[in-house]
Amino acid sequence: MRFDAPPRRAPLEPLLPLINVVFLLLVFFLISSRLAPPDPVPVAPPVTNSALPGGAEGPLVLHLAADGTLALGVARGDDALAALAAARAAHCQRADCASAPPALVLRADAGLPAAALAPLLRDLAAMGFGAVRLVASAG
Amino acid sequence: MILFAEPERRRRRPNLTPMIDVVFLLLVFFMMAARFGAEATLDLALAVPGGAGDWQGPPRLVAVSPTGVALNGVPLPEADLPAALAPLMAGTGDAVVLRPADGADLQRLVDVVARLTAAGIGRLYVAD
Repeated sequence: MRFDAPPRRAPLEPLLPLINVVFLLLVFFLISSRLAPPDPVPVAPPVTNSALPGGAEGPLVLHLAADGTLALGVARGDDALAALAAARAAHCQRADCASAPPALVLRADAGLPAAALAPLLRDLAAMGFGAVRLVASAG
Repeated sequence: MILFAEPERRRRRPNLTPMIDVVFLLLVFFMMAARFGAEATLDLALAVPGGAGDWQGPPRLVAVSPTGVALNGVPLPEADLPAALAPLMAGTGDAVVLRPADGADLQRLVDVVARLTAAGIGRLYVAD
């Protein structure tokens, strides 16, 4: 008596197209996104369509929430300003701040009362910064 | 009689499941950790503390209220602001002071800053 060999089981679904698509998605996310640490306080930057692209990364990033809360890492409020001064001093020991002043990146919420910006900018000027880069999301 | 082992007809395909697991994990990680949307920056100058000595020319104070702007106290349409500022400035490097009024939020200020920046006025101070 002869039995035919049982046919080799074919996979239920072909896996290769799935793998192709998943790899494409992976490459897409790798290329199109940038990794950044999450904001310490919720910040929705203001929207504009005529700002200079780029420059939103830097060694010193200060966050300013809609209720006026300053944040730098885990420090809040006046502690954040003190931490910023310390970070600036540490940065200036590594780099030459006299010839190339460090840029301060300010991520402020769009709903912040703009009048609250002036006292902060005064404090930053007293700290030795020459300019701030206000982050906006492009259109 | 010598029996030779029959050569294996074809190599087994490697098991793909662990690789797919890892790739899915990477995909989920990048989807969660990525930050999307192009970001831009606007430069704001910071005043030298206690030093107003390098001010050149007539005052250029732009009050920014939630509904409009005023140049040196005179309200004017926002679109006319760069043209109204031009005769007060010797060059585009001259400074302009923005003074946000109560009720104006940062989005409003950024709108005015972007309008002036687009007109080539790059040295902007924010004062109160």
